[in-house]
Amino acid sequence: MSETLGTVLDWVAILCILAGSVLSLVAGIGLVRFPDLLSRMHTAAKPQVLGLLLVLVGIGLRLVPVETNVFNVGTLVLVALFQTVTIPVAGHITARVGYRTGRIDESLMAHDELAERLRTEGDVPGSGMAR
Amino acid sequence: MTRLRKKKRTGLTALRRRLGKVQVPVALGMTLVWMLLFKGFQLRWESLGLLVLGFLVSVLIMVLFPMPPITPGPRFHPVNLVRLLLYVFVEIVVASFQVTVLVFTPGQVRNSVVAVRMRTDSDLTMVCTAIAASIIPGTLIVEVNRPDRVLYVHMLGVEDDEAIERGRRDVWKLERRFVMALGTHEDIAALRAGGPEKREARKRHEGKEGP
Repeated sequence: MSETLGTVLDWVAILCILAGSVLSLVAGIGLVRFPDLLSRMHTAAKPQVLGLLLVLVGIGLRLVPVETNVFNVGTLVLVALFQTVTIPVAGHITARVGYRTGRIDESLMAHDELAERLRTEGDVPGSGMAR
Repeated sequence: MTRLRKKKRTGLTALRRRLGKVQVPVALGMTLVWMLLFKGFQLRWESLGLLVLGFLVSVLIMVLFPMPPITPGPRFHPVNLVRLLLYVFVEIVVASFQVTVLVFTPGQVRNSVVAVRMRTDSDLTMVCTAIAASIIPGTLIVEVNRPDRVLYVHMLGVEDDEAIERGRRDVWKLERRFVMALGTHEDIAALRAGGPEKREARKRHEGKEGP
């Protein structure tokens, strides 16, 4: 009974890790395929969140029966928590710097409300609109 | 001799003031992280020691590096919190597929930066909404305008007005979920008072009068 359960868990874990890896691969392809910084930020940071979570779930499923001394489920929870909390911060800073230093391809922008606002305000980029 | 004593006393009051600033919920949160790091959730005597030690370390950190308190603090509504987490997770999965489809669609992908005005006046909700919007694929926070409570969101593959409105509505939906899960009663009331339709009407009105 427990052996079949182990096999099932194994398969679920394998599928989770596989799906996570595929999502990370998609992120890599998107990084090469998209032309400008902001679009690349999307693929660099996002499918990876789900990909990483799936890989962690996969590892967790295999770790529950086999307790190692290196890390346990708590460590995985911490990894997931800090990844999800820090990715937006890094993404925001990168996007903001990219925008403020003019590394944005205008031809790819269909609609840009931030630029409109900056123009109407006469705000010099980098003068600290957001504090 | 008296000077030394005086110095000691001022030091003590300063320490007491610092200790008074320790936010217990935050310290408890740090203790939880400590326990997770050192495998504290096992039934053994060492776990109790880990708990005490973790709490002491948390208090020490907060005395050495005091942080401004989060005001107003979060009010937890458990049922809505679970619904919020499920909603965010479903959004992540759905949006991951959308971005994947976009990656494999040939041709140029055009994007938009959309200004989304928050309906509530709390920093906590704004930060949480920004983080969640950043985690969900397809949206990325470019700029935050805190005095006006506006988030500037970069949306992948969004070019016509209809899609822009849909994106704006999605961010609003996210905000509503966060307010329902963590907001104070005032926040919830503010949310009810200024729905997205009203906001839009007001904005259109302003747009007509503006330059």
